[in-house]
Amino acid sequence: MPDNRMLDRMQKLSHLQDLEMMLHEAGDAGSKKREEDMGFELHGIEKLKAVRDKWRAQIDPRDLRVFDRIIKRHPRAIVPVEDRICLGCYMALPTSINPGNTDQERLLTCENCGRILYWLE
Amino acid sequence: MTDPSRILRFLDERFFVRDLRAKTKDGVLKELADLLAQDREVRDPKLLLEMLKKRESLGSTALGSGVAIPHGRSLAIASIKILFARHLKGVDFEAPDGQPVHLFFLIVAPPLDRNNEYLPLLGQIAEVVKESSAREALMKASTYADLKQVLARGGDAR
Repeated sequence: MPDNRMLDRMQKLSHLQDLEMMLHEAGDAGSKKREEDMGFELHGIEKLKAVRDKWRAQIDPRDLRVFDRIIKRHPRAIVPVEDRICLGCYMALPTSINPGNTDQERLLTCENCGRILYWLE
Repeated sequence: MTDPSRILRFLDERFFVRDLRAKTKDGVLKELADLLAQDREVRDPKLLLEMLKKRESLGSTALGSGVAIPHGRSLAIASIKILFARHLKGVDFEAPDGQPVHLFFLIVAPPLDRNNEYLPLLGQIAEVVKESSAREALMKASTYADLKQVLARGGDAR
């Protein structure tokens, strides 16, 4: 089980990932049109970007650097772990990677694809 | 034409809520997130609530005619979830027609939706609630079976 400080860091990054995904979909012409055709108004993209930027300011700059580096390669920079499988690349994680026994300063990442692991259990 | 049975696969009796208590938009979002958090596949209720609140910055998820469909993708969720809730008094949800919202469908999905079901489901529910007869039936639904019956008709509730 990760400690509280790591949980807090991961929650902040996870929320940033949710916001980035929301902005990505709102900026995608196909997805935007589909939602607008359903009757939803998506006029607040700039407002949401401002919310995202404000949120970024609350995150540890070192974590942001890691996140920004990964999201350039993978739109889903953070991925869940299920049954010790990284749900980004579907590779099994080695037993050396464990939320309970790693250096608490380092974010857990997949050795294969490099994504940040969402592993809070 | 969409397949109504698709919605039914995602329904769960635990997530048929007859009368919400919250009196504000944020209060409703919190109540919905807390109700959904009963599901073990909700990994982080706080993260889910934050996503729902921020989604409203993009534009209200109220469609008018007393209906809102709060929705979004979040790491907090392991699989697609749908919750139906009614607010008998109605609550201000910044709807485009300015009317209070009585009917809520909460739809949340994980970031990766392998079968690409999230947007079609959202569209299907939006289609159902366009029909005034479906909205009336949803307002009157007293059991989970009533809800399933309305949705099974897939917007053709006449």
